[in-house]
Amino acid sequence: MMDRPRPGLWELFSTFLFLGIQSFGGGTSTFLLIHQTSVKRGWLSEEEFVRNYALSQIAPGINLLKLTILIGNRLRGRSGLIVSLLGLLVPSAAVTALMTAGFSAIRSQPVVQAVMKGILPATIGLSLAMGFQMAAPLLSGAYKEGPIRLGANIVIVILAAGLMAFSNISPLLVLLMAGAGTVLLLALVPVQTKQPLKEDA
Amino acid sequence: MNPLIFFWLFLKASLFSTGGLSNLPFLHKDLIGLGWARENDFVTAIAVGQVSPGPTGLWSVSLGYLIYGWPGAGLATIALSLPPLLVLAVSAFYNRMETQPVVRDFTHGLALGVVSLTLIVSFQLAGSTIFDWRGVAIAIGALALALNKRVPIILILALAALAGYLFYGL
Repeated sequence: MMDRPRPGLWELFSTFLFLGIQSFGGGTSTFLLIHQTSVKRGWLSEEEFVRNYALSQIAPGINLLKLTILIGNRLRGRSGLIVSLLGLLVPSAAVTALMTAGFSAIRSQPVVQAVMKGILPATIGLSLAMGFQMAAPLLSGAYKEGPIRLGANIVIVILAAGLMAFSNISPLLVLLMAGAGTVLLLALVPVQTKQPLKEDA
Repeated sequence: MNPLIFFWLFLKASLFSTGGLSNLPFLHKDLIGLGWARENDFVTAIAVGQVSPGPTGLWSVSLGYLIYGWPGAGLATIALSLPPLLVLAVSAFYNRMETQPVVRDFTHGLALGVVSLTLIVSFQLAGSTIFDWRGVAIAIGALALALNKRVPIILILALAALAGYLFYGL
């Protein structure tokens, strides 16, 4: 954990550029690619990645841009942040505008509609995969603290999902309630196996 | 079209929302109200945002392009990139407080909530994108391939496009 890689600015820029351009399929593909890349290169641990993504939920704007800002900032400070953000955003925004021009012209073609009917359900599958990949490090961490802690974690996920599905409460408010609820619930359920806290460099 | 007002409307929508389509209600109300955009522009922009590279939130770049051409796409991109910088303040605050168990537990709970949100949004979107067993099969196939982290996402989408063509295009 102590040997955090320190990628060069050019490496950061080109990595995010490549990632931004090839992540067809909207935010879910982009999320999965950022996740794969940063964990594989040892930029962040699974836990740190999920924590950064959680933090990005409570600031305004596009979550993946906030995640990119946090990763770039953490690896190479302000200049890292700027090159990562530019790399991710500018080319993919340009491709989005180009695709808009193309799509308006061809969207009524039967072939295009058939292909879209294949791609859109796939983005749902990718989005579910994103949920599972985020849940995995959280729940395995909780499992190490004992089955009751794991149960408490699962209860929070189910309660929050229920609130989002069956009420009109804003998602941001539900997230904050999940945070507060976890503080309360975990205070009631003591850790059973003491785990050393991971040190962040 | 006044570029300053255009920029402000996109900036405001991003400031008061948190990603994905959550800026849609603001842009919809303002741009339809001014007569700058039509319903059809929104439908097209959202569809493009689902398949184009980068965050789904880039659907607003597509919308900017539809109503104001390249300057619109550029202004929308700049407007989208500013509010996320506020996350640095959130993160700085967290790093100072990280050793407090309350803050760690709160962030842990926040992350659990994000898992719920992702699952619920997936199921809600499924209602408008999956219409029959073939759609279900494509979604499950994509899920299984994505959980096996060695398969590139772009390959999964290419296979889905092919499946769409075979199922619905022939």
